[in-house]
Amino acid sequence: MGFKIAVVGDQETVTGFALAGATYAHTYTTKEETLGKLGEFLASDEIGLVLITHRVAEELGYDFLWMMQTKRLLPLVLRIPDKTRYVPKVDELREIIKRTVGVEIMIRKEGG
Amino acid sequence: MAVPLAVPPTRMELLKLRQRVGLAQRGHDLLREKMDALVIEFFEVVRRIQEARAKALEQLSVAHRALSMCFAIMGTLETKQASREAKRELQVEILTRHIMGIAVPAVEVEEIERNALMRGYGLHMTSSVLDEASREFERALNLLIELAELEGSAFAIARELEKTKRRVNALEYILIPRLKEAIKFIVMKLDEMERENFSRLKRIKAMLEERG
Repeated sequence: MGFKIAVVGDQETVTGFALAGATYAHTYTTKEETLGKLGEFLASDEIGLVLITHRVAEELGYDFLWMMQTKRLLPLVLRIPDKTRYVPKVDELREIIKRTVGVEIMIRKEGG
Repeated sequence: MAVPLAVPPTRMELLKLRQRVGLAQRGHDLLREKMDALVIEFFEVVRRIQEARAKALEQLSVAHRALSMCFAIMGTLETKQASREAKRELQVEILTRHIMGIAVPAVEVEEIERNALMRGYGLHMTSSVLDEASREFERALNLLIELAELEGSAFAIARELEKTKRRVNALEYILIPRLKEAIKFIVMKLDEMERENFSRLKRIKAMLEERG
């Protein structure tokens, strides 16, 4: 069965992904409202993927992280940069690696 | 450091403890192997994420540029209007795959890119830049879905990895040392009792010889 896609973000992001066929969209308004909407998206059974801009995710702060911790496997949540290409300096994946694998720091070789 | 378990110093208990240490050791080895396998899996996924992310973000910024163009040429309101008119029924297949007992998402995506007619907005009121922007966003979405799958897997594996690590450490640094401590305690106690018995026997023998 197919899953639908939801977008949470600023005007431009939402418009763009709506043009690309994302079914649900929410433009960031206030923290409370967006959190409510996001909760709805996460609880829905027909949504498989939620795209949220980094800026909005950061705006939601701890509540967002808590939602990520407690959500089920689906829907997937992906944070994307907005039109200003804003990406937070702390790479979450790198943080996780640090926490799980120890103090290992990654040295990446191309094609390795 | 290792607080010994409170155990009665008996031979039965010693046997039981030895069995428990063996079991804990076996479990520890198994978990350690699992952890190593997970780490390998995890790094593979991380490597793929890095590639996928670079590609997806590149495409996303291209898409945003196209959209800005569209806002500029067609007008903001008209573009938003068109986005509301557009057909928004994209569906993705998401299955769960299992890597060593961890459920990770596997996304299958059908053709995302559509032609202008399939998008559903009115063609006579819109400009070709809108088609362009839509197409770029469809491509970006395609890459982002791939990325989402990988990130979902990475988070699932990381969570499992953390759990496994905690278990390995609990066995290695708490349970096994405690059991070993308890075994040592019992062995010492038994030896001590043996020595006591031995000297007691000696004494009794001496007393018997004195009497007889």
